[in-house]
Amino acid sequence: MTWLLPPLGLLAGLLLGAETLSPAEAWSVLRDPGQPLAQLIWQWRMPRVLAAGCVGALLALGGVVFQGVFRNPLAEPYLLGSAGGAAMGATVALLVALPVPSSLALPALAFAGAWGATWLVLALARLAGPASIAALLLAGVAVAAVLGAMRSFLMLALSDETVSLQAVLSWALGGVQTPAWPQLALLAGLTGAALLLCLALARGLDLLGLGEAVAESFGLQVRRFVALAVLAGAFVVAVSVVWGGLVGFVGLMAPHLARWQVGALHAPLMPRAAAIGATLAMLCDGAARAVLPPAEIPLGLVTALIGAPFFLLILAREARRR
Amino acid sequence: MSGVALQARDVSRWAGGKTLVEAASLALRSGEVLGIIGPNGAGKSTLVRMLAGLDRPDRGEITLLGRPLMQWPAHERARRLGYLPQHFTPHWDYRVTELLRLGLDRTPQGMAGLSALAAQHGLEPLLERRWSSLSGGERGRSLAAAVLAPSPGVILADEPAAALDIGQAAALMALLKGRAAMGAAVAVVVHDLNLAFRWCDRIAAMGGGRIRGEGVPSAMSAPGVLEDIFGIEFERLHAADGSAVVLAVRRPQG
Repeated sequence: MTWLLPPLGLLAGLLLGAETLSPAEAWSVLRDPGQPLAQLIWQWRMPRVLAAGCVGALLALGGVVFQGVFRNPLAEPYLLGSAGGAAMGATVALLVALPVPSSLALPALAFAGAWGATWLVLALARLAGPASIAALLLAGVAVAAVLGAMRSFLMLALSDETVSLQAVLSWALGGVQTPAWPQLALLAGLTGAALLLCLALARGLDLLGLGEAVAESFGLQVRRFVALAVLAGAFVVAVSVVWGGLVGFVGLMAPHLARWQVGALHAPLMPRAAAIGATLAMLCDGAARAVLPPAEIPLGLVTALIGAPFFLLILAREARRR
Repeated sequence: MSGVALQARDVSRWAGGKTLVEAASLALRSGEVLGIIGPNGAGKSTLVRMLAGLDRPDRGEITLLGRPLMQWPAHERARRLGYLPQHFTPHWDYRVTELLRLGLDRTPQGMAGLSALAAQHGLEPLLERRWSSLSGGERGRSLAAAVLAPSPGVILADEPAAALDIGQAAALMALLKGRAAMGAAVAVVVHDLNLAFRWCDRIAAMGGGRIRGEGVPSAMSAPGVLEDIFGIEFERLHAADGSAVVLAVRRPQG
């Protein structure tokens, strides 16, 4: 059932856009791949939709890892500030003249930013005592706010003719660019690697869900594992931010939707969450292209629109459970 | 029967300028249930956490089967030492079968023992149930089954009966006693003194971070010992089998 979602999302993503296809048009595209409309679909929409799917899968995996490692059902890359950290790093790489090529600096700084921001949020939350759901989120919001302000300042102060403010801004609001095929292949490879990396953490996350004391007594080296998981989570988030900008709430929704289906164990959860995340991102990206043609609205705007009510739903459930 | 499985020598732990445990020495012998009693804040949980390897002693040494506890590889220690925590709330709504699998993961044979484990603890009808749907007693049994899955040679329980009713508490003590009969060395923190006297082979009494006395139940229930530790007076009744039943009666004068 879950596995049918990504193909459906892909189909919807291909149909939706500045020119949304009717079923008849779609059929003619399939029958005659030589016509201009078919060219548009295969050369432009296909890589774009697949890239959105990868970004969604990465966000979902980041959400699963962060929810598991912080044992917090409201954790996700965007709300925790890790995505903000990655965006900060990426902005520096884009706008500041660095002695290294930006193809190298961009992913490296995005990763460093995601990693640093996550630890900062974790350290701030620990000041408020162990395992406080609210403290972690508040720390995440505060760190994200500071990082966002710094990023805006950098954008205003440093953007010039070579890097347009418009481009950086639309990326920061969350949006997938249409990649060239080799770029897409790289993104797909990284997404696959991210899934394997996360699956390697699955058993440890299961144990951590029993609480630190029992996890430790069941043989998990908790401190080392948490450090490792945060590192892996930062990698996943950095890749998603480099390709998709700041997209919120997909990392929150996808793990929960998957958990309702298969339960809490992380190994079966991860691929399903990734599939759901990919579908969500492809649908939202399609909507972002179709709503205001010929303009595109930012992907992050669409996901926030449906994600924030979902956040409140989970919050209410948690409040009742405690 | 009297091989020492886990031994603490002069262990101390401080936190924030406060002494939690001071120079405590304790030996857990195979085949024996050791009860740890004492008022709140006496350092019982801190001591048990150190014995389980969850906290490091600031001074002193703990050895498991003659080898320093911290030198055991994590997975080897996990197989030999089971820890039942005072409070247990899983962060995710696991099914009973998932909890048991996580416990069984520590054994070399792995999942092969799942059905036997469930049968042993009477959990077959609960296997597919989620944690949130279990009663307090069912939760206690499920957690104990997961912790005891690899048949650890050392079992440490920190007030496992705190959330159980009187029958469930007795059943849990019987379970621990049965494990001791099979050769495990068991230490259990118990608040209910009569539960401790009834089920434990030896009692260690803690107060102010120190071990203030240790002995068989009949010696520990003798006049003077409990008064000294808890700072109140006790009355002693005698059960049909001659064992003492203690009742806290009143504060001493002054």
